[in-house]
Amino acid sequence: MHIPDNYLSPSTCIVMGAAMVPVWAIAVHKVKKEVTRSKIPMIGIGAAFSFLMMMFNVPLPGGTTGHAVGGTLLAILLGPYAACIAITVALLIQALLFGDGGILSFGANCFNMAFIIPFLGYFIYKFIKDRTKSEKGEYVGIIVGSYVGINMAALVAAIEFGVQPLLFTNSQGQPLYSPYPLSISIPAMMIPHLLVAGVVEVLFTTAIYTFIKKVSPGTIFEGAKQKIHTIYGLIVALICLTPLGLLATGTAWGEWGADEIKDVVHGGKQLGYTPAGMKNGFSFNAIMPDYSVKGLPEIAGYILSAIAGVAIMVIIFKIISSFSKTKPKDISNES
Amino acid sequence: MNHKENQRNLPDWLLKDENYIPQSDKDQFIGKSILSILRILSKIKSQSEYKTDKFHVNAALKVAFTFLLVILLSLSTSYTFIFVVDVYLLVVLSFMDGKEIIKILSVSLAMAFFTFIILFPYILLGNTYTSMIITLKVLSTLIAVNILSHSTRWNTITGALRRFYVPNIFILVLDITIKYISMLGDFSLNMLYSLKLRSVGKNNSKYGSIAGIAGTMFMKSKEMAEEMYAAMECRGFTGEYTVRSKWKLTIADFIYMLLTIGMIAAFILWGRI
Repeated sequence: MHIPDNYLSPSTCIVMGAAMVPVWAIAVHKVKKEVTRSKIPMIGIGAAFSFLMMMFNVPLPGGTTGHAVGGTLLAILLGPYAACIAITVALLIQALLFGDGGILSFGANCFNMAFIIPFLGYFIYKFIKDRTKSEKGEYVGIIVGSYVGINMAALVAAIEFGVQPLLFTNSQGQPLYSPYPLSISIPAMMIPHLLVAGVVEVLFTTAIYTFIKKVSPGTIFEGAKQKIHTIYGLIVALICLTPLGLLATGTAWGEWGADEIKDVVHGGKQLGYTPAGMKNGFSFNAIMPDYSVKGLPEIAGYILSAIAGVAIMVIIFKIISSFSKTKPKDISNES
Repeated sequence: MNHKENQRNLPDWLLKDENYIPQSDKDQFIGKSILSILRILSKIKSQSEYKTDKFHVNAALKVAFTFLLVILLSLSTSYTFIFVVDVYLLVVLSFMDGKEIIKILSVSLAMAFFTFIILFPYILLGNTYTSMIITLKVLSTLIAVNILSHSTRWNTITGALRRFYVPNIFILVLDITIKYISMLGDFSLNMLYSLKLRSVGKNNSKYGSIAGIAGTMFMKSKEMAEEMYAAMECRGFTGEYTVRSKWKLTIADFIYMLLTIGMIAAFILWGRI
């Protein structure tokens, strides 16, 4: 998943690098607060560990071998913030000294592997683990977390590749960077990751975790119970990704307008008519029809709509949860 | 007589001829893991062999110039500019040792070939320009970065990052990482060797052992980190990290700067035709 230079345009690289700056800043701040000074060498050695872990080959069916990234594992062992720094350093050494992964695309590589994998993987693991008290739940968390983590990173990498030909062409319209559109880059990245790399990651993560838990359970990072903040980060990321919807042609499945539904293809046949109930039914004029706001460029309109949507969701959930605040707080896992 | 006496005392099973042919088992993945770790270690260890920097050019200048070159290459849209850069890179390469040239070229050509394969379907669609220019750019960028990493000691590269205001903590962590990649690498290499040696015939628990090796590596790394911090504290480490070096420009540096200016001029002239 190491993206070399010249696959992505410099502007994409700058955007991805800029997205990583706050992540790094927060990670350094958090690690300084959470981890005492005595743990500074631990980050360096954790980076060495993450670097070497990518060297371990795992047998795959068909006689081939593959290697894991181990981002979720590192996040479970060291905590997501320390894992983020450790993987960043490992990626920097790979790019600068081993020529593996580009220098310009360093930001993009960090976003995919040092941000998405550890944070998403850890959040899913923690979410499932905290809601199921049994050990089985913990392992389900590890499996789902590591699988989703690496596949999400692959999806983001595929999107980074796929938007290149749409955004960056020369005067003759020829693409300057990765030339394949989303319709090719997503399946090309996702099929091997869903089928092979994701499985390797899951096997590796669970096997090592099981071993360490058996041999030395005290070394595993115990995160605080409330880890809701991570979801805010993910929501922000999703908001930033919404303009991608602009790139897709056509309307989202199931979101057809009354004038579009007759063109919907079902089972190889066009629907060919507009259901009467939809034609003459209730038509709700939203404040932001089709996510575009008058007087604003389309992308800004999209982002604003997304922020508004998320804010409304959060408000609704807060209202609902304020009604059910009688639940006792669980403090058993605080340490 | 004595010999015969001895034979009589030995248990029967020791006297039997045994024709043990171990069952063949797949252990390719162990071999591959060993190889990839060895490759890393040999690269790190070869660092200590360098006596002086090849071109006597300040490391900070080299790092800055390489970054600039990577950016210009990425921005460029013309073959002419890439050709100019390639000529420059070939000249630099020609000053290096044969062994290093082989290493740099093999890594770079392999990756460029991989890129070419990926982009090959696009050539079939009739667009040779994009595929060729990306392959060439990937090749040139990799050669430039590999020249930097092969001609400069790594500790001077990390020291150079300090000049670009990278935070102290990152450089400290970077230095520790490089050192411990080689230490932990040695450690896990020994475990992999013993796993390979002890797996005679069919060994089905081999797959589990790989996890054991990685897990032990993690615990070892934790232990090492604690020991290291204790050692650092004993020597008066307070969390601050300063680099002391004199910034002196030599004639080589000035020639290098002229080259940089030449490269920028070339980019302005032909870079975006």
